[in-house]
Amino acid sequence: MTPNMTLDPATKAHDVSAFDHLELLSEMGRDFTSSQDMAASLVKAVTHITEYVQADGGALFLLDESGENLICEACVGATEITGLTVPSDQGIVGRSVQNHSAEIIRDVQNDQNFYNKVDQETGFTTRSIICAPLRVKDERIGALELINKRSEDGLFSDEDLRLLEAMSASAGLAIHNARQAEALVEQEVLARELELAAEIQRSLLPDARDDDFPVHGVNIPARTVSGDFYDYFELEDGRICFNLGDVSGKGMNAALLMAKTASLFRCLGKTIHQPGRLMALINDEICETSTRGMFVTMIGGIFDPRSGIVRIANAGHEPALFFDHDGACTPFEAEAPPLGITTFLADGDRYPENEFNIGKGSFYIFTDGVTEGYLEDGSELQVEGLTKILMDGRDKSAAARLNDVVDVIQSSGKPIRDDTTLLCLEQKSGPLVTESVEITQKITVANVDQAIEIISLEIPSQPDRLKLVRNFVTQAAGFCDCSDDVTQDVVIAVDEALQNIIRHAYGNRPDGEIKLKLCRTNVNFIVLIQDFADTIDVTKIKPRDLNDLRPGGLGTHFIREVMDEVSFLTPPEGRGNLLKLVKRIA
Amino acid sequence: MKHEVREEVGGFVVAFEGDVDLQTSPDARKVLLECVGRGKSVVVDLSGIGYIDSSGVASLVESFQTARKGGQNLVLASVSDGALRVLKLARLNKVFTICDSVEDGLAAIG
Repeated sequence: MTPNMTLDPATKAHDVSAFDHLELLSEMGRDFTSSQDMAASLVKAVTHITEYVQADGGALFLLDESGENLICEACVGATEITGLTVPSDQGIVGRSVQNHSAEIIRDVQNDQNFYNKVDQETGFTTRSIICAPLRVKDERIGALELINKRSEDGLFSDEDLRLLEAMSASAGLAIHNARQAEALVEQEVLARELELAAEIQRSLLPDARDDDFPVHGVNIPARTVSGDFYDYFELEDGRICFNLGDVSGKGMNAALLMAKTASLFRCLGKTIHQPGRLMALINDEICETSTRGMFVTMIGGIFDPRSGIVRIANAGHEPALFFDHDGACTPFEAEAPPLGITTFLADGDRYPENEFNIGKGSFYIFTDGVTEGYLEDGSELQVEGLTKILMDGRDKSAAARLNDVVDVIQSSGKPIRDDTTLLCLEQKSGPLVTESVEITQKITVANVDQAIEIISLEIPSQPDRLKLVRNFVTQAAGFCDCSDDVTQDVVIAVDEALQNIIRHAYGNRPDGEIKLKLCRTNVNFIVLIQDFADTIDVTKIKPRDLNDLRPGGLGTHFIREVMDEVSFLTPPEGRGNLLKLVKRIA
Repeated sequence: MKHEVREEVGGFVVAFEGDVDLQTSPDARKVLLECVGRGKSVVVDLSGIGYIDSSGVASLVESFQTARKGGQNLVLASVSDGALRVLKLARLNKVFTICDSVEDGLAAIG
């Protein structure tokens, strides 16, 4: 219990001990720190002080954010003026704030600065005032004002003023601290929101897979959130879609565009299996809605573990690198602008594609955060440095190799300057012909079961039957309401597939048997072509490099180019080859 | 497939009619290489072509390369939509000179 609580109020202020004073101050301090409600704490503080100095009333004014006005935030006794706003250079309170000085005004009516409007409106008579500024160092916070001493003459003493000054200084500090605590809480909320955004971003990255899965990636953001991304996912037929991208700029806007692009790829990539076409569609979406000036560089691709064939499209991204089994390097440069720049593409409705057989080599895609990453000596890693790390680690697992690269950049001692992202595609075991074909067959047979058969045909392996087949396919496609373009593409694919069978599977033998079945679903036109020659090694079927102008070998390229899906199934009789061609018609 | 060869001032005009496919492309190849072998440039008139497959395209490429080696030219004229689609699939539309008509073709080789 406070020792002086029982003293006569009239004498209390004069008998105040240092202990009482400190006790009051510490109580005020506790109020501010323990309460979430600053307004309530202010009222409590003003009540304490007014009571302690034995005044009729007290008011606490705080400067607003602009510093131009003083607002009464708390008030006790006398008249209720909470919310009263006075220009910060007017009134006794304004003068105290501007001059950084405490004042005692024994007769306010003679003070030219006295703001008498309140008295006029309420009928209250202000006789004397003591007022002290609230401040911390040079920062003005407001002022504390007490009105009319509760004594016969109603006048404050110098002692009262000193007491108020001391309490104002403490109240100023308490308010300052409470405000800082509030700001900290706000910062924490923002930091938490950013962390949540980063968490959602991380959830957009695929889970790491076992070492024997063909694709591995790593992403180290330079800030909490990243503008880089990578993704991979398996299609029902066993092929794997993958991508790696880099959004221009950093921070939250880049992170949001990253989320959008990555989601579009994942969603559209499940039905559109041509990377060039897929990227063109994503480009259309981004161009339509993107913030001006933002763009995305990206490499998207599709990998067939059965044949080892990789098909990619590069939209304005750093060259991807393919190292063959002997370590020879082929870069895949961008042949088209980044996504989000223009919907006018040189190749019409698609980004240009490149195709190669990965064999036992490794394919790497990375962002410039990797090549521009700092080394210990302050220089940049560059493509040469990256190549060396990858080559030195060629006997390690892909994940370990990618971590080696990240370690080098992170151990430079400098903070990472840009988001750092790498993706590796490889199949050390070579193509998975036998296992995967079985998997594919299960799925595709199920799909074909849902399909409606249009017509079947059996022909001998003779070139003069091709024209008949073309007419036959044209008629069947027309029967299924296929457009002229779709019909033309299906005819090209069937003709080329039959040519391959006649020339390569049967070696131009005229007595080979070929079965053709045409089916349709709601969305696809499906052609199944079966022969009974020796089973071919699909890994050796490689589309021709179009930069190479030697005649021949074009057929496989044509088929892959015009059809949406090309796959070899295990034939029902267990011998020969069964080719499935799918073209979307709706 | 039928074909017709006529000799103009600037070189040969070879016109094909019908489909150039696995069945007929050996004939097309033979005709084209014979013309090229006679030391003159060639305009290949494709206006009568209904369908051309990869083996037909290969014949064109082979003849084109042979002509170039001999310092001659081989240009394509009046290419139908179907044939152009196949040439584009092979990215050969940028390799061959493609003219709107035989006259333009003769001007191109002249």
